[in-house]
Amino acid sequence: MPGSIRPDPSTDPALVAAYLDGSERAAAELVRRHARPLGRFLYSLGAQQADLEDLVQETLFRAFRRVDSWRGGASFRSWLLTIGSNLLRDQARKQKGKLMSLEDRDIVDDSDPHSDLAAAEAGDRVREGLARLPRLQREVFLLRVQEGTDYEEIAATLGTTPGAARVHYHHAVKRLKELVR
Amino acid sequence: MSECGWLSDRMPAVVLGRAQWTQQELQHLNRCGICQQEWEVVRGANRLGRKAADGLDPSAVAGSVLARLTGARNVDRRLRRVWTFSGLAAAAAVLVTVWTGAPGSNGSAPPTASLAAGQLEIPLPELESLYPAELDSVLQTMDEPNGRSSNPEDPDLGDLDPEELEHVLDSWEG
Repeated sequence: MPGSIRPDPSTDPALVAAYLDGSERAAAELVRRHARPLGRFLYSLGAQQADLEDLVQETLFRAFRRVDSWRGGASFRSWLLTIGSNLLRDQARKQKGKLMSLEDRDIVDDSDPHSDLAAAEAGDRVREGLARLPRLQREVFLLRVQEGTDYEEIAATLGTTPGAARVHYHHAVKRLKELVR
Repeated sequence: MSECGWLSDRMPAVVLGRAQWTQQELQHLNRCGICQQEWEVVRGANRLGRKAADGLDPSAVAGSVLARLTGARNVDRRLRRVWTFSGLAAAAAVLVTVWTGAPGSNGSAPPTASLAAGQLEIPLPELESLYPAELDSVLQTMDEPNGRSSNPEDPDLGDLDPEELEHVLDSWEG
């Protein structure tokens, strides 16, 4: 039909709309797309591996329960990560000390045997360093280096300004460089 | 912007594979200890959690999430039914009470309010349009004349987990 533009059914907004219309397949596709990045983000924020699947599941459940509140100001992924982060924080409050007890966590996490050893070691130290950063710095930094989110979207997601997000990122880098040194 | 600042801004895109270093940037990276250190941090952070996340099975997660969503929707539907029924019954009971206490009434009231509530079919479309919370609030107001104001510390439906809620709803619906 001339002039009619049909939304790409493979985009997140189209899948969310399909889910709201009752498509479970759309919901399953959204989970397939976002479950692992969400798990990775939560793990980097301090979640324990044993809790990861439950956390991811709970985050997605909560997100779908109020998916109509997602306005599209930030990407679906960023919105999801924020819900996960809030959930993790709430759980950490309930189980004080569990979140950041680095001694209990499996530090070695390099699945690529050919990767640079220095980078793998840095990863361990970065994780320890991340645990010591203020929450906003930690989240801004991870959204940048794991998701490639730009400052505008980070600001929309975390309720700050792009300028402040940039400052948080550079503070995080500075602190982490000191720790990795 | 300094060369270090420029590289710093480009690091996330390069580490994610969305961009590549230019020859000039690579040359700077090879001779600048500060940038090398930052690059190490960015690469380390980028690799974090990959193995942990690989342990997740998205299909299994999707199955669990969808099952929970279906369960939650069923509970929502049942709650709405129970609230609507309770609202109608309570409203009918109030109307019967008002009717039997009205001047000029011959006193031939139904034996009990609850019986009347069960037998009367009073259309109250305004109640059906209320949200559960609003309906709850209306019901609480209706309870007060009987002296049954609720204690804020009393457990509420919202305090129950889905299984307990199912159990309570089963008992209400008979």
